Amino acid sequence: MSDNEDRELQALQRQLDDAFETTRPRAGFEDDLWSRMQARRPAWARVRDFVAGLFAVVRRVPAAPAATVAVVLVLAIGIGVLSLKGPGRGGGGSAGMSATSRDSGSAPLAGTASGAFGRLPAPALQPVSGAYTAPTAAGPDGTRAGQPVVGLYFGPAKLAWAGQFTIRLTSAPVYRYAEPTSADADKFATSLRASRQPVPAGAAGLGSYSGTDFVLGVVGTTPSPLREPSFFLTPDRSSLPAPWPTAMDTANAFLAAHNVMPAWPYVIAVMESADVERVLYLREFVVEGVGSQVYMVDGVGERHGLEVDLRGGQPLQAAGPLPVALDTAKYPIISAAQAVKSALASSPAGPASIEPIPTVRLTTVELVYALAIAGDHSFYEPAFLFSGSFTYNGVTYLKRVLVPAVGA
Amino acid sequence: MVADRPPFEDLYRDFMRRIYAYVRAQVSTSADAEDITAQVFMNAYQAYGRFEARNTTPAAWLFRIARNATLDHFRAHGRRERLRRTIEHQPAAEVDPAGMAEERIQYRALLAYVAKLPERQRDAISLRHSGLSFEEVGGLMSCSEDAAKMLYHRALKALRDSVQEGMA
Repeated sequence: MSDNEDRELQALQRQLDDAFETTRPRAGFEDDLWSRMQARRPAWARVRDFVAGLFAVVRRVPAAPAATVAVVLVLAIGIGVLSLKGPGRGGGGSAGMSATSRDSGSAPLAGTASGAFGRLPAPALQPVSGAYTAPTAAGPDGTRAGQPVVGLYFGPAKLAWAGQFTIRLTSAPVYRYAEPTSADADKFATSLRASRQPVPAGAAGLGSYSGTDFVLGVVGTTPSPLREPSFFLTPDRSSLPAPWPTAMDTANAFLAAHNVMPAWPYVIAVMESADVERVLYLREFVVEGVGSQVYMVDGVGERHGLEVDLRGGQPLQAAGPLPVALDTAKYPIISAAQAVKSALASSPAGPASIEPIPTVRLTTVELVYALAIAGDHSFYEPAFLFSGSFTYNGVTYLKRVLVPAVGA
Repeated sequence: MVADRPPFEDLYRDFMRRIYAYVRAQVSTSADAEDITAQVFMNAYQAYGRFEARNTTPAAWLFRIARNATLDHFRAHGRRERLRRTIEHQPAAEVDPAGMAEERIQYRALLAYVAKLPERQRDAISLRHSGLSFEEVGGLMSCSEDAAKMLYHRALKALRDSVQEGMA
């Protein structure tokens, strides 16, 4: 190689270095993509991050007396629920959603055999370090801005019952689904006009897909964080239509356009933090004889369903349960006295992180549905969610106890 | 061990732009590059729990995902378009005005020439100038370190010739 050629190639290498070094995506892409990735995180982690984003002040708990308590946030600002709509009843159900043979909670359960699934796995809370809760569904008056956000405590506590147990129920449906396969995920994707895309060897999930203006991921049931089979739909933000006047309208239009409107009953709540709005479609189950709404809860007891995140009024991502065929069976429900006894005698879901062990007065109880996993089948089961709050070092914590409602 | 694994956010902040540049050097529009980059990190995020730092470097792991995603993109969308461009022997069309504004104009043409190289030469150039060692380039391209060096130098000469022809 001549000196001249050598110099030419060296110059070309420098140009290439500069070209690669200075090639950048458009402004905002880096943060935008990170937001989309975060939106795929478990619900508890996203709630925690939402909360963290709201706080201007972070302080450390004094070391004494519990060395295990490391950092807590000053819980001063709440997440505002911006709007609330009455329960949807499956309106706008999509072809993909209606593929389920029997959507949970949407139909009477006549003819189902009592206890037909045999002995059930017990639903349980899943301790998560640093989990927080925020009001995501308000009362009938709608907004509840300024409600405090509190930390969740899963450790041991001296429990007492100080509430009114008004739920009167002798039986309730249990729902069972078989773990979906890649073929099921393909079928769902096809209903959204998406085609399968290759993923790296060993990648988790049932499939990765792309449509004309979105990408789609489908995962099966995950034990940790506890979550049913789910889809994650991320739009190409360069081709979205103009936003609607409200976040809720935009989310509705987005879900309808992509054929993923929930077919199950739901209540809508909207959370806002920083520049992201989250529209939540909180899943409800219909239980005969129970006048109030019966919500699905996740592994930390938070109401749970389908979520649409928006920034600048435009969707970032939708994440929700994959439609699955549900079998149902009625099961007898334990008495109020049994439920309270079980709650007070329950083992802590997590390790001790506060000393001395706090005394907690459980003051509320709510009938909920929770996921319980059992191999290739999983269940949506009724459970009683007891709650009570306590204060430690000036910080309010919420203690939850989940008691399986189905008798042994 | 989990302790061997840096937080994914660190990886993202360290590599996002490098991955984008690598992808951008191979596809015709910044919109395609963004789509592929997004897919790369979505996949990587999903798979990070199984990443073993003892077996590979984070860079090699991420660029492997990026390389596969780029090849998939060509298989799915780009083969005919690339063939057309090769026949017409002109730099790739930039159809994204926003992307044009964001990129250095003076280097865009150079990367367009890189994009026209044969696949393995293009890959060698892009991986090397994205900051990978020849050992990592060889690992990704299923060849030895020495073979990666030879391939790179052949690619560099081919690129120079291509640029000179384009300027003539």
